[in-house]
Amino acid sequence: MLVFEIVFTGLLMGIFYALMALGLTLIFGILKIVNFAHGELFMLGAYAYAVLVLRAGMAAVPALLSAVLLGALAGVVVERLLLRPLYTGQVGAGPLRDEYAIIVTFGLSLFLINLVHQLMGPYPLKGPDLTATSRIEVFGMFVSPHRLLASALGALTLGAVIWIIRGTVWGKRVQAVAQNRFGAAIVGIDHTRVSTLVLAMSGGIVALSGALLAPLFHAYPDVGAFPAVKSFVVVVLGGMGSIAGSIVGGLLLGVLENFGAIYLSYEYRDTFGFVILMLVLLLRPHGLFGERTREV
Amino acid sequence: MITRRWLMMVGLGLWVGSAVTVDAQETIKIGAPIAMSPPGSVAQGKEVRDGLTIAQEMLNKGGGVLGKKIEILYEDHQGIPEKGRAAVEKLITRDKVVAITGEHASSVTLADIDVAHRYNIPLVNTNAWSDAVRLKGYPQVFNRSNYNTRVAEAMADVIARMKVKNVVAFAENTDYGTGQAEAMKKALAKVAPDVKFTSRVLDRAAKDFTPAVLPLKADRPDMIVTIMIPPASYVLMNQLYENGIAPSKQTWLYDGAGVADYPEFWDNVKDAGVGLVSFGLYHPKVALTKLGKDVREAYMAKEKREPNRLIFQAADSLFLLADAMTRARSTEADAVIKALRDTRFEGVLGVITFDKEPGIYFQQWKNIPFVTYQLTAKGQQLPDTLLVQGPGIELAVDKLMRPAR
Repeated sequence: MLVFEIVFTGLLMGIFYALMALGLTLIFGILKIVNFAHGELFMLGAYAYAVLVLRAGMAAVPALLSAVLLGALAGVVVERLLLRPLYTGQVGAGPLRDEYAIIVTFGLSLFLINLVHQLMGPYPLKGPDLTATSRIEVFGMFVSPHRLLASALGALTLGAVIWIIRGTVWGKRVQAVAQNRFGAAIVGIDHTRVSTLVLAMSGGIVALSGALLAPLFHAYPDVGAFPAVKSFVVVVLGGMGSIAGSIVGGLLLGVLENFGAIYLSYEYRDTFGFVILMLVLLLRPHGLFGERTREV
Repeated sequence: MITRRWLMMVGLGLWVGSAVTVDAQETIKIGAPIAMSPPGSVAQGKEVRDGLTIAQEMLNKGGGVLGKKIEILYEDHQGIPEKGRAAVEKLITRDKVVAITGEHASSVTLADIDVAHRYNIPLVNTNAWSDAVRLKGYPQVFNRSNYNTRVAEAMADVIARMKVKNVVAFAENTDYGTGQAEAMKKALAKVAPDVKFTSRVLDRAAKDFTPAVLPLKADRPDMIVTIMIPPASYVLMNQLYENGIAPSKQTWLYDGAGVADYPEFWDNVKDAGVGLVSFGLYHPKVALTKLGKDVREAYMAKEKREPNRLIFQAADSLFLLADAMTRARSTEADAVIKALRDTRFEGVLGVITFDKEPGIYFQQWKNIPFVTYQLTAKGQQLPDTLLVQGPGIELAVDKLMRPAR
């Protein structure tokens, strides 16, 4: 029974890890940068959902959708104002470009944390559950119905993103820009609009995970540190820029962390992720699915 | 000879000059290093700031201290020891504060007091519970704050009286958390040696405690003790409840950090808080002194809610410094430290004195009052909770209500 619960709860958590990492990997695929403000978009989603329901009296589903829209909008603004110079040649190339990306996204992260702290105050805010009860009993096992529902919505979102990327025209354009921005431009793809779309998708996805997790992790200014760190591990594990890698990596990390925490030591739970990260970097630097994605 | 006379005159001039500089200040500057931004406990920092402000306003309204207004200079240390050390260094050397108070995080306080000790500046500890703060034995540091051993002994007594046999404590990975878990182990060994006590250290920055909670399903303890501050404590409490572990018919949930009186508690804990037994440092059913009533009244007029213990601790901290300066008739460090040592001041909850015995009681208000109470309904406010122990109220564990499921 315990093993089943370990795998089950690990998978539930893994879905969220995958969701958080998906946004990061999409941005890396297109812009080849790591967005250090990724966790703060998670935080915005968590606050948006909690505030809209608790203080504005909005119903849960419209509040979730609003959180997604806010995340998407934030992604678009970030792309327009801060990240566009990366591919328009305004900040040069090579190391200079990487430095710009690190500084600008790090700065954005600190700015958002402090801005929200000033606007919302220091107290954590628990988002309301999507379900009326806090727990249900299934076969003698108590589980949080919100966690189940949120994970199901997370899984559906993962499926929807895969479909968009693989099955739609816009998805093909995203793949083309990810492979070769210059080549995509030559064949008539508006790579600027594709970048905006990807940032919007990334912001929306991570804001959704923040909103879904607000009842479990609560909303507070630096809640984004946790998803940011987990996302980095998952993206490296799955392969930078690989969507399938992010999903498998997220699920794997969720289950492995649970097993390690229970059978080895809870105190080193987060360490397991970093051990995996180091092993992957040493033995398979392109991650589990990195190569395959680059060949698409 | 002339040279020596000149040197003496210059030295005298400098001494008089420095004295004049201090006396010429229009206000008495007190430094307050607190967490005003993450990752520190900003919620605690805000309560401390509110408490200091109430006391400052009351003092200044009454004419100030030594005829001067009190000015509090706040520095944000974000709950990071290195930043706390730098903040205190800045307050002392650049802002020329005459005393420090307001500190509320043990790990940061342990760094701060080194600086106060080095510069010989009096420091009144508002809310750093770690015994290690006292064990350093610095003559400049005085503790209005509660301390881990006090909590551990009080809780061990309750645990012994409740006759539980298997206790698991979740402690945060800070000087406060691990220190209190250790103190509780020692206290239980004395008063209830038959109790099986296990402590587990959790990362206060973690979000998902399910892997720490799941194994308890197979081996349910009689009681779970939480030694964590928010937001981690809220997340843990919710996950204990969601997994059907505690509070439950089988397992009591006992909060050792006194978070149940935080203003945002019910916004974050909901159903998981019903049945929670809590250690506390204030309850509205406990009698306040005249000063306490004035602080409460001033706070309620301003904030429209009942003050919690941090408000009182912070107010007392400033009143203690003001009292010492008044008795010393000076803001000079040695005189204030000497006066603090001889303190006998009626604070908000009772008469405060500082113990002189070396060790964990060094310059500590030893008999700090405490309470034990239980939250019996969702959203219940502090005045309505079930008080089972307090000053003048004998511990009555039989009154505690066990959750139905």
